[in-house]
Amino acid sequence: MKKILGILLVMAVLLCNVALASNLDDSKAMFDEAVATLMTTDNHPMLAPGVTFDVPEAVGTYEELEKLEDTNPDKWHYYEYLDWDTSADATFPESPADGAKGKHVICIVHGAHAWTTCYSEAFQAACEAVGMTCDIYDPNWDQSTQDGYIDQAINEQPDAIVLIPLSADHAAQQFKKITDAGIPAFCSNTLPEASAMNFIRAYTGPNDWYQMRVLANQLGEDLGGKGGVAYITHNVGGSPYYARCFGPMSELGSKYPEIEHLDIQSPGFEASAVKQVVSDWITKYGDKLNAIVLADDSDQAIGAAEACKAAGRDDIIIVAAGISKQGAELIQSGDLSACSYQSCQGDAGLAVRTVAEFFNGEDIARVSFIGTDIINAENVESFLPCQW
Amino acid sequence: MMKRKIRFNLNFINTYRCFFFLAIILFCGLFTKKFFTAFNIRAVTGNTSLVMWLGMGFTTCMIAGHMDLTAMHMSTMGALLCLGLHSQSGLPWALAILVATLSGVAIGLINGTLATKFEIPSFIVTLGMQFVLKGLMYIYTGGAELSIGRDYAFNELLNSAVGPLPFSLYFIITTVAIFLVWIFLRFTRTGRNIYMVGGNVETAWLAGIKSRSVTTLAFVISSTGCALGGALNGIYSGAASITMGEKGISPLMIALTATIIGGTSLSGGKGSVIWTWVSLIAIGFLKSLFKKTEQQVLVIAAILIVCIVYETLAQYRRSKVVGTRPNLHNEHMREIGKA
Repeated sequence: MKKILGILLVMAVLLCNVALASNLDDSKAMFDEAVATLMTTDNHPMLAPGVTFDVPEAVGTYEELEKLEDTNPDKWHYYEYLDWDTSADATFPESPADGAKGKHVICIVHGAHAWTTCYSEAFQAACEAVGMTCDIYDPNWDQSTQDGYIDQAINEQPDAIVLIPLSADHAAQQFKKITDAGIPAFCSNTLPEASAMNFIRAYTGPNDWYQMRVLANQLGEDLGGKGGVAYITHNVGGSPYYARCFGPMSELGSKYPEIEHLDIQSPGFEASAVKQVVSDWITKYGDKLNAIVLADDSDQAIGAAEACKAAGRDDIIIVAAGISKQGAELIQSGDLSACSYQSCQGDAGLAVRTVAEFFNGEDIARVSFIGTDIINAENVESFLPCQW
Repeated sequence: MMKRKIRFNLNFINTYRCFFFLAIILFCGLFTKKFFTAFNIRAVTGNTSLVMWLGMGFTTCMIAGHMDLTAMHMSTMGALLCLGLHSQSGLPWALAILVATLSGVAIGLINGTLATKFEIPSFIVTLGMQFVLKGLMYIYTGGAELSIGRDYAFNELLNSAVGPLPFSLYFIITTVAIFLVWIFLRFTRTGRNIYMVGGNVETAWLAGIKSRSVTTLAFVISSTGCALGGALNGIYSGAASITMGEKGISPLMIALTATIIGGTSLSGGKGSVIWTWVSLIAIGFLKSLFKKTEQQVLVIAAILIVCIVYETLAQYRRSKVVGTRPNLHNEHMREIGKA
C-alpha cells in the first residue's frame, strides 16, 4: 500500500512539473509571438525591450544640490535619476517562474484622460497577447481613491499589481503596502521618488528628462545658441513638472549659456489660460521672446499657437512634450516646431513585457525606459496615426 | 406598559434610512468576491475615517443651523502641519498632532466669531476661510507634497488591526471620538443647546441660551475634529498635499451626502453624528463594490438626490399641513411616532 501511495505521489509531482514546464513553454512562445506581432497604432512594436541608463555620480547631497542654479543640470540629479539606496530594498516576492500564461494583473492608473484610455486599452491588449488577464482601476486623479484601490487590489490577491502613482512622494507608502502584502509591485509611467524604489520590483516608463533634453538640444540649435525662452509647465509638484521644465532649461543652460530664460508659468491645461499667459509674455518681452517650451502638445500647444498667431509672431519657436493628435496636426500646420515622441502604447507594452518576463523567470531590470525620438515636420508622417 | 407599534411605512424607512442603506450595501456584498474579508473591512473603514471626521464636523455645524465649508481644507491643513512639523521641524508626533489640532481650535473660533458676532452668513465665512487656509498652506509648503519620509512606525501602528478586530487603530480612534461628540451633543446641557439654537434661535434666546457662544462652540468642534482627523489621516496614509480632495469625489461632498442621508435637517436642530457615521460606513462599502470612480459617483449622487427630493417633499407636506390644519399635523405626527 505504501509503495503504491509513493508511486502515486511521485507521479503527481511529475505531472505537476510537466504542467508547469508546459505552461512556461507556452508562455514563452506566446511572449515571443506577441513581441514580434503586436504593434502600436502608429506602427511601432508595442512590446519593444526597454532602454537602461547608467546613473551618474551625484556631485553633492540633495540639500547641497538644492542650492544650485535652476539652469545647472547637477541640481536636478535626484529628480532625474532613481538614485536609491539598494541596501534598504525590501524583500521582494520571488518569481514563481512558471510562466505568464494564466496570471492575473491589476493595473491602477491615475485618472480619466485620452492618454489613460489609450494606455489602458494597450495594457489589456498586451496582457491578452502574452496570456495574462487584467483589471484596470481608475481613481480619477484622486489620491485617497487611489489608496483605496490599492487596498481593494491587495484584497483581490492578484499575481502582480502595476501602479501609476499619482504622486511621487506618496509612492513609497503605496508600494510598501503592496510589497508588504507579498504581491510583486511594478511602477509604470510616473517617476516615483527614489526611496520608493526600495519597494518596487521594477519601474518602466518614459525617460522624460532625457527626451526633454534631446528636444532642448534641437531647440538650442534652431535658435542658433541665443535668444529668450519661456516655459509652460505640467501640474506643479509632479515628476513631469520638473522634467519638462527644468530638464530643457538646465540642458539649454549648460550647452547654450547665451540663451536667456525669461519666465516659468503653470496655467494648467486649458488652451484659453495658456493663450492668455503667452499673450502676456509677447506684450511683456516683445522681440526678446524667441521660443516657448510646453509640457503638453495638445491644449497647451493650441493655446500658445493661437496667442502667437493673434500677435502675428510666427517667428516664435514652440516645442512640446508629445505626442497627441492635436500635436501632430500642429506640427503639420507648422504651428509647432517639434515635439518629443513618447509612446503611450509602448509605455503600457513595456510594463506588460516586464511583468511577463518576471513570471517567465527572466532577469528584469529594476529601471527601464521606452525609446524616444524627436518629431518634426519632416518625419511626422512616420508617427501617424497618433495613438491618442 | 404600552407597546410602541412599529410601522414599516415610508416614514419609518425614511427615518432609519442610513441603517437600511448600510444593510442593502452589506447584502450586496454577499454577492461580491472577497467583500467580507478582514483586510477589506479594515481597509474600507480605515480609508473612510477621514470623511468620518469631516462628517462629524459638518453634522455638528448643521445641527447648529450653519454650514462649515472649511472642513476639507481644515483637515488638509491639519495633515500638512502635522507632517511638516514632524518631518521637517523634527517635532515628536504627539506635539505635531497637538499643534495641528490647536490650529483647528483657532480657525473654529474665527469662523464662529465671524458668523455670530459679525452676523456674516456661515456659508460666506467658511467659503472665504477656505481660500485663507489654502493660501496659508501654499505659504507653508511651497506647493509641495509632504510625507512621513521613512518614519513608518506610527503609520504602521495606525494601519494595524486592533486585536482580533478587523478594524485599524485609526478607525477605532475616529469612532471613539465620534461617540464622545455624540454623547456631548445628546446628553449634556451645552450639547442640547446646540440643537435648540439650530432648531429656533429666537426660542433658544428666550430660553436664556447664549446662542453666539453655542454656535461658536459648534464651529470649534467641527474645525478641531477636522484638524485632528486630518493630522491622523496624514500619518495613516503617509503623505498629504494641498490638492487633496480636489479631484475625484470630494471628501467634503461625501461628508455632506452622509450628513443628509443620516437625517440631519438642512435647516438645523435635528441630526446625529452617529447616523452620519453609519451613512459614511455604508458609503465606504458602497465604493468598494465598484471599481470605477464614475460608477461610485453616479450611485452616491443618485442616493443623495433621492434623499434630498424626499426631504423637500416631506417638508413641503409638513408646511402645508401646519399652515392649514395644525390639529391634523399634530395628529399625523402622533401617528408616525414623532410627536
